[in-house]
Amino acid sequence: MQTLVSLSNDLASAVERAARAVVTVHARPRLPSTGVVWRPGLVVTAEHTVRLDSDIRVTWTDGHSAPATLVARDPGTDLAVLRVAEPGRPAAELGDSGALRVGHLALAVGYGPRASWGVISATGGPWRTWRGGDVDRLLRVDLVLYPGFSGGPLVDAAGAAVGLVTSGLSRQLELAVPASTVSRVLDELLTRGRVSRGYLGVGLQPVALTEAFKRIAPGAGLGLMVVSLEPDGPAASAGLLLGDVLTALEGAPLHDPGDVPSAIAGRPVGSTVRVSLIRGGSPLDVTVTVGERPSRKR
Amino acid sequence: MERAIGSGIIWRADGLIVTCAHVVAGRGGARGAPMLRLADGRVLRGTMLACDRRVDLALLGVEAHDLPAAPIGDSDRLRAGELVLAVGHPFGLIGAVVTGVVHAASGPESRTDSPWIRADLRLAPGHSGGPMADARGRVVGVNTMIAGGLALAVPSRIVEALVERCRTR
Repeated sequence: MQTLVSLSNDLASAVERAARAVVTVHARPRLPSTGVVWRPGLVVTAEHTVRLDSDIRVTWTDGHSAPATLVARDPGTDLAVLRVAEPGRPAAELGDSGALRVGHLALAVGYGPRASWGVISATGGPWRTWRGGDVDRLLRVDLVLYPGFSGGPLVDAAGAAVGLVTSGLSRQLELAVPASTVSRVLDELLTRGRVSRGYLGVGLQPVALTEAFKRIAPGAGLGLMVVSLEPDGPAASAGLLLGDVLTALEGAPLHDPGDVPSAIAGRPVGSTVRVSLIRGGSPLDVTVTVGERPSRKR
Repeated sequence: MERAIGSGIIWRADGLIVTCAHVVAGRGGARGAPMLRLADGRVLRGTMLACDRRVDLALLGVEAHDLPAAPIGDSDRLRAGELVLAVGHPFGLIGAVVTGVVHAASGPESRTDSPWIRADLRLAPGHSGGPMADARGRVVGVNTMIAGGLALAVPSRIVEALVERCRTR
């Protein structure tokens, strides 16, 4: 029984330690969300819960409340950064999100503090969110994300924050953004005000390549037909036309409609990329200068 | 004839059983004398000593003096994140255990307006009236309902207060 009691105490202590850096974020009507003091004076929360751009307040678990200003948002990874003039308030102890293994105990801490308990249920490699953000590692958790938990820390058994939980990146799965991604995005938002992502400015539709096409472009897997072009966007400026069928990027055949955005998003803005395509029955290579994805209109 | 079943807690060895009001009282009022089946197989008829629908608690008396009473814990000292477990008969399955953690601290010190213990624990119908216990196995609450995915339990402090009121009456 002593083992169970000490596990119980350890869990409660982990919640307490994590809760020192947990705040209530009042940035939307009705239901508040949770935030974490990631570094002194800087609160990270889930971007989708920040509906206000001003008049935001945060409240610590001891009841202390302070105004917060929105520094920047990255809808891609569902992260927003707020600044609070409270340098004395402790920042979260950060853990190594890369060391998490399937089956490790994990807690999610919501404002209050409130606790939810479970395990890391799956891990995976880097992935791109449906909002276009790059996440270092897939972290799926088997725990309940109660209303208002988004933006709260994923806490390991020692009470260290190893990620940020959010319901904004998947409707079905309970996911966490690893601490390494939070820190990286935070750095980028602080230095540049945004996370820049490479962009071609084309809308693509997958098309099955007929034998005739495959003779023209040997080794091609899937064709992606240009069905829309951003006016004056990178692809339009490079001379791509509606109806062009893309078959390869930098010589690598395309197999999935997601291949183009994932290959482009990680490239530095201003770099060039060789796009192989079929136009009017003839193969053609076009060099496109990667542009920066415009910020989402809110 | 098996009707809806719930769970109950042996609160005192001299025959005091605690359960939920909604387990023993139908909509039309007290259902009379519920049958109680103990873990050792004994079947006893209970008499209603007190029923407080407001806090969803009922006290039953049985003719016995040697019952294994549950150790009672302190519901005011629960910490968010500490382990709790619930024992009950979900969907008629006798003695099933679920584990979870305290969702939010309760008690006079906490800044919550909820009178219940809230736990991140998966209850099911049939758990009602059964114990929520801490890691030492001490009863800290009586499972009463599920709300928003959370298990709610009436704190043992409130149960003790009802027991006291019942005794002094």
